[in-house]
Amino acid sequence: MEYLGIVFQPIALFTIFLGTVAGVAIGGMPGLTATMAVGLLVPFTYTMDPTMGLMLLGGIYCGAMYGGSIPAILLNTPGTPAAVATAIEGFPMSQKGKAGLALKVSVVASFVGGSFSVLILLMFAPMLAQQALHFGPAETFLLALMGLAGIISIADENSSLIKALIAGLLGMIIAIVGTDDMSGSLRYTMGYVELIDGVDFMPALIGLFSMIQMLELAGIRKKHEIDTSTLHKKQKSDPLPKGISKHIALGSATGTVIGVLPGEGATIAAFISYNISKRISKTKELFGKGNPEGIAAAESGNNGCVGGSLVPTLTLGIPGNSVAAALMGAFIIHGMIPGPDLFNEYADHTYPFIISLFIANLVFLGVGLTVAPYLARIALIPPAILVPVVSAFAVLGSYALNNSVFDIYLMIAFAVFGLILKKLGFSLEALILGLILGPIAEGGFTQGMIIGKGSPWIFFESPIAKVMWVIILLLLLPPLYSYFKHTTLVKAPDAD
Amino acid sequence: MPKKYVDRALLLFFIVMAVLLYLSTASYPGIAKTTSAYYVKFLAVFIGILSVIQLLISLAKDIDYTRLHLSEHMPRFLGLLVSLIIFGLVFEHLGFFISAGIFIPLVALILGYRNYLTIVITTVSVLVFVYLVFVKLLSVNLPGLS
Amino acid sequence: MLRKTLFSGLILSIFMALPAMAEYPSKPITVIVPSKAGGSTDRTARMITEVAKMQNKGFEFVIKDIPGSGGQKGFEAISRAKPDGYTIGLVFTPQLVAHIVSKRAKYTLDSFHVIGNVAQDPAIVVVPKDSDIKSLADLAKKAKKSALTVAVNGIGSDDFLAAKAFEAQAGVKFNLLPTKGSTEQKAGILGGHVDAAFMNLSQMIAQHKAGDAHIIALLSEERNENLPDIKTSKEQGYEVYMTATRGVVAPAKVDAKILAKLDEILAKVVASDEFKAKAKKGSIYLLPKTGADYLDYLKSLQADTQAVYDKAPW
Repeated sequence: MEYLGIVFQPIALFTIFLGTVAGVAIGGMPGLTATMAVGLLVPFTYTMDPTMGLMLLGGIYCGAMYGGSIPAILLNTPGTPAAVATAIEGFPMSQKGKAGLALKVSVVASFVGGSFSVLILLMFAPMLAQQALHFGPAETFLLALMGLAGIISIADENSSLIKALIAGLLGMIIAIVGTDDMSGSLRYTMGYVELIDGVDFMPALIGLFSMIQMLELAGIRKKHEIDTSTLHKKQKSDPLPKGISKHIALGSATGTVIGVLPGEGATIAAFISYNISKRISKTKELFGKGNPEGIAAAESGNNGCVGGSLVPTLTLGIPGNSVAAALMGAFIIHGMIPGPDLFNEYADHTYPFIISLFIANLVFLGVGLTVAPYLARIALIPPAILVPVVSAFAVLGSYALNNSVFDIYLMIAFAVFGLILKKLGFSLEALILGLILGPIAEGGFTQGMIIGKGSPWIFFESPIAKVMWVIILLLLLPPLYSYFKHTTLVKAPDAD
Repeated sequence: MPKKYVDRALLLFFIVMAVLLYLSTASYPGIAKTTSAYYVKFLAVFIGILSVIQLLISLAKDIDYTRLHLSEHMPRFLGLLVSLIIFGLVFEHLGFFISAGIFIPLVALILGYRNYLTIVITTVSVLVFVYLVFVKLLSVNLPGLS
Repeated sequence: MLRKTLFSGLILSIFMALPAMAEYPSKPITVIVPSKAGGSTDRTARMITEVAKMQNKGFEFVIKDIPGSGGQKGFEAISRAKPDGYTIGLVFTPQLVAHIVSKRAKYTLDSFHVIGNVAQDPAIVVVPKDSDIKSLADLAKKAKKSALTVAVNGIGSDDFLAAKAFEAQAGVKFNLLPTKGSTEQKAGILGGHVDAAFMNLSQMIAQHKAGDAHIIALLSEERNENLPDIKTSKEQGYEVYMTATRGVVAPAKVDAKILAKLDEILAKVVASDEFKAKAKKGSIYLLPKTGADYLDYLKSLQADTQAVYDKAPW
């Protein structure tokens, strides 16, 4: 109870509010990521009261995860890779003038997913963390495969499955550029120091989505292609679609579980829950054309990772993803080393921090619900103003990530080649998914091979692995079956 | 240029890339031979096979003569692209603020916008925003402010 | 408007480019951190600059993080920087010399003036909590029977070099598992997926104290005050020593007077109680060394690394 007292001090509430709003803005801007913001702000919390500092960073984390969905829905420019699935459904809704509803579904789903995962963090952290430890490299490899199965769900009916798979593989191939972790030798870096760490996915994400969108907008002859008629009217609140709670619940659970596991969970979680949602939906055919169920699943999935990723971070000192790793730095800088100590000796910092995450979720729910109707009016900004501003941020964001001009060129190159690929019917969502999950798959595979002393049997050995194979098959077989039933190979649609 | 030729050229490129990639794994050193090399070989084989299949499909139904349009309005499209590349080139020398201060109004003009007041207000507010958030709040080291 | 912006920009940049004729320093000193913001090198740099700023009136510092490529990009940026005394940077071993040895670096040790060392993080050998390996002797004995899976943090890292040195001394061969970072090593040890790991003390001290993992040796000659009951490799009869150091350097051609001033500043910072208190709180283990001593250390480390590289290059 005393912990609640700490959280409900006016100054604490203000800090959480500030962090969350800043987080939403950061997540919403192309090129600014929660990892970067938390990493850069950690040193500043050094001089702050530890609890306040952590609350600020926690707010940014929660806010940014939600914030990524806003530009994804409105402009088809996902602010974080975890929001790519959201863009697939959200942007078509915006084009139909349903941006307000899409934003509402997104904020509610984010809130439920985020709060649920924090609740799990608060109640079951130590137990869950112990379970997560059973998850070795072999299982990580299978998790990446589960995420990659999403490529099939991006493809099926309306675009060519083969081209989506090629795009996904291309992404994975781009991702092998850089250092070979196994031997330490450099692969395909062509002498560029900048490529030693491989191709960063942020410039790719910015180029493939934000910049392509701007290039396309710049070349549009008609002034307004988006139906803005509904935006001028006073917003009446659209009720949430019926049956959506099922998808939110599913996403929350998937997100939390995957968040607990090591690796960059949010993107995988968003795609897996999007994929499952599509399988169980009664309105499958609407997926890809603006189905709020897809937004609900993806957003509750990626926000579910927030609480989940903190489970191993706080209890074991094993950060669940890069934001959690940066947050861990904030704990350490104040002498609080993650582990059991956090829940005994430093409980008066840790528990208020966890509770503050609930408040952060409430804050972005409030912000999202009140501001969303106005945000939808972004569609009214003339493209001639929107394009240069977003482009400038795209350049800035690509640079600021690693202080590297090389990343700017990389971003532009992704935009140009991505546009050609897009026009030829290759799925850019599949490409980015391959680029992000490729290294996780490779790491899991190669490490598994070493631990298994060269035998691939390790990928089938543990009970967890067996269950995961079943899930992978369940995700893959039905869509493949229906795909081949509807189209013989030769008649495969050419995605025009 | 008809779309299908670009498509086929690209698929051909993927096939060549797949072959080269497969061959390159032979030179992987040490432990990578039995780990990373398998992974890369798998990718190469898979993308190679799929590209061949797609190429055959494309050759089999030879009816599509639509042209590849990257944009409806080429001058504006290229204008943005060229400005973007120049922006990238001068970024480190002029710094963000000067180059963005030129880039934003320039692109707005290229896209046919003529409301100068809005352009100025937008440019200034973007620069001020970036200064406050990136330089003051996050203390990112942007070039041009030493 | 456009013209005006251009013009004023030009004027501005001329002013900024004007060399610092007056007293040093006339502007903030940029400190390059070849690592990511919030990491331990970054934290070390911020602690140093914070104390240095308090102790020296008129000195301002700006931290510039250049993450990635095992520090190579950052080290190169320091060596390339204009030698006007307004850019200095942090370096860490063994990556600093490992890049030279593997012929990737565009710098050599001569590219730098070494100001001094500040901190270290000694290497350790750690095993899962229920492992029957209790000492380095156990490790060697078991490794002789069957290849043990041992996690190291990437090829060419301090962990890797230490593991290689141990292999040579004990006459064993590990099934080495290179990971992408200490996080994966931790997960491997805590989850029992690997038999042992070579890591750094700060990465595992909390888990050891909590009983989640078991540190069997500290790879140094002297015990560490933070964990005094852990036996060193020397005590256990193996001459395998490894530590990750973090020091401060400047580009080589900076004016000697400025360098002397910088040397003095750093020496004063690391000697201060304030800095020691901050370091203790932030889990940074201090190992102050003068510039000359640190340079000697770097040279001998480079020779050792070269020997490992020549046997099995990466």
